[in-house]
Amino acid sequence: MDAPLLAIEDLRTYFYSRAKRAFIRSVDGVSLQVAPGETLGIVGESGSGKSVTALSAAGLVSAAPGVISGRIELRSNRVRRNLLDGLERYVRVEQQDGRVMAVEKDHRGWRRHAETSMAGVRGKEIAMIFQSPRSALNPYSTIGRQLVETIRLHTSVKGESEAKELAIHWLERVRIDSPRLRFDNFPFGMSGGMCQRAMLAMALCAEPSLLIADEPTTGLDATIQSRIVELLAELKAETGTATLLISHDISVIQRLSDRVAVMYGGTVVETGRATQVLAPQAQARHPYTAALLASIPSTETIRRKSYLQAIEGEVLDTIDVPRGCRFYGRCNRVTEGVRERCAGLEPPLAEVAPGHKLRCWLYPA
Amino acid sequence: MSKTILEVTDLRKHYSQRRGLASVLTGQGRVIPAVDGVSFYLRENETVGLVGESGCGKTTIGRTVLRLTDPSSGRIVFDGRDITHLSRAELRPLRREMQMIFQDLDAGLNPKMRVRAILREALTVYERPSDAEIASRMRELLEQVNLKDSKLANFPSELSGGEKRRVGIARVLAVRPRLIVADEPTSALDVSIQAQVVNLLRDLQKHLGLTYLFISHDLPVVELVSQKVAVMYLGRIVEMGLAETIAHQPRHPYTRSLWSSLADKRSTEVSLSARGGGGERRAWGVFDFEQPASGCRFAPRCPLYQDKGRPAVCTDPASEPPLRDLGNGQVVACHFA
Repeated sequence: MDAPLLAIEDLRTYFYSRAKRAFIRSVDGVSLQVAPGETLGIVGESGSGKSVTALSAAGLVSAAPGVISGRIELRSNRVRRNLLDGLERYVRVEQQDGRVMAVEKDHRGWRRHAETSMAGVRGKEIAMIFQSPRSALNPYSTIGRQLVETIRLHTSVKGESEAKELAIHWLERVRIDSPRLRFDNFPFGMSGGMCQRAMLAMALCAEPSLLIADEPTTGLDATIQSRIVELLAELKAETGTATLLISHDISVIQRLSDRVAVMYGGTVVETGRATQVLAPQAQARHPYTAALLASIPSTETIRRKSYLQAIEGEVLDTIDVPRGCRFYGRCNRVTEGVRERCAGLEPPLAEVAPGHKLRCWLYPA
Repeated sequence: MSKTILEVTDLRKHYSQRRGLASVLTGQGRVIPAVDGVSFYLRENETVGLVGESGCGKTTIGRTVLRLTDPSSGRIVFDGRDITHLSRAELRPLRREMQMIFQDLDAGLNPKMRVRAILREALTVYERPSDAEIASRMRELLEQVNLKDSKLANFPSELSGGEKRRVGIARVLAVRPRLIVADEPTSALDVSIQAQVVNLLRDLQKHLGLTYLFISHDLPVVELVSQKVAVMYLGRIVEMGLAETIAHQPRHPYTRSLWSSLADKRSTEVSLSARGGGGERRAWGVFDFEQPASGCRFAPRCPLYQDKGRPAVCTDPASEPPLRDLGNGQVVACHFA
């Protein structure tokens, strides 16, 4: 792999539950890398920490305590630094046996410092599109105006009329029909798929080095979903923008990703090339990935009208994190040989093949 | 063959939309034909799947056949009895036989009531059972939906999505219904949990002899749970038949595109060519009740219409294609399929 464009190292993002008087360990020691021009897909159930990882990278976590430690290294042509640099001094983390026991954070100081640090990065170097495009757009402003504003803020094009031309060009690039007419449309006059296209135009017009796409197709109709996926694939080929793609829909991840990270309970449990991780017959596979793949109705299941293979139980709530493997309670592949270790000790992310890593005691390094 | 439990004939539900003061005062406004002449039937212990894009009228059909909204015209026969014009009081005893599972997980779960109280309420709507009976029924319900006893003390906000769905299903089962309209029962859930719920619904059908009208836009799930599938477009059924037939030998161009768009999303190899250039993309524009096409409603988006060189019959206002019987129980509304 080339030198990564984005390297997240040991990121921890916690929240505090007043009702339970305990930390919610949404992201609990995540390390990820995205190479230039590459698409990294993050897949997992809701509550596994996918979105919070992405929001942390974009500096958009606003609730306290939020990001408490880690490094987010960005190495683009214009910016080369750790986005969390200098923020350590606002946080004091008390640990016991590698577990966070208490966090003291000067939230205002952190926020002020983080905002300065993210200025010129967010929107310009790291752009984001979200699950509900309509709520991410300003309902009081036409999409054209919003696009022009973004262009004048984040690119060297400052003139009103040039910005308008560029905006129309981008509406065309995201395959919006009659872009000149659509320029004057308000978000409410457009369908969900069209709004997502407009969001994409807005995200890409500053030619960012990294696009974060958080569930870009969720909530859209099946037919529209496949059009958006197709558009993302085309734009990826045209612009070469590196993408961090988040989805719980494995088919979307499968279609668009070069590499895949599977998340569970705030940690990465498997990572590797998409062909390694999602291959129909894999040499080594994390039981959680296997279960996720099996729960999609296959042609065979449908033909025989057999039962779907559900993952029993519920997603781990990251408040009472178990001592051992986080997936232990739902795992159907625990053998007597490893049971004790699974229950008592969290497995490390071990390399089972070049570039393919698993967090499971069944596959020790 | 088991008997017909629900029969719907030429059902229509038109909503009037009033915009602006003038139309409110004059009482005139545009009419949105959300359901526009739909006929189908359900046999006992069978599942009929209803698919189509959002806005095509699936949910409206579900609500109308249960008389949660009143139909504009048509006939609904439940268990041999015409319920189209029954009054609220007359409907009340029938309500316990036909229930709905709503798409929204929180619908029907009072946030200020614990699960125990929610189920207790459902158990005592139509009957006055003793406390001992309530306790035993509640245990039975929990077992049926595979929910732990400990959850009885929880408020809905303390439950996960899958658990909320189970409580919702338990609440519906409490009145021992025969027909259940399941409106997107899995769409708000994760894939892994979706599988649990789909398995649960199928088990319940087997053990309790339930009949489902299963509304969903998730095609593989619909194909899996249904014996028959009806495909809707803009308020009408455009194709209907056995689930396998609809999935593997679809005849209507709309059904075909629904299934192929699924295949597109599934295909693993990333095709970088701008497959289906402008024409096809435009074909997938949004449909619009405001400018109803004359003739076949699908014509403006129809690939077959383009391929055939835009035949006049497709846009002839006098000839909206009727459902033709192709044999083997398959019907299709297209001039050329």
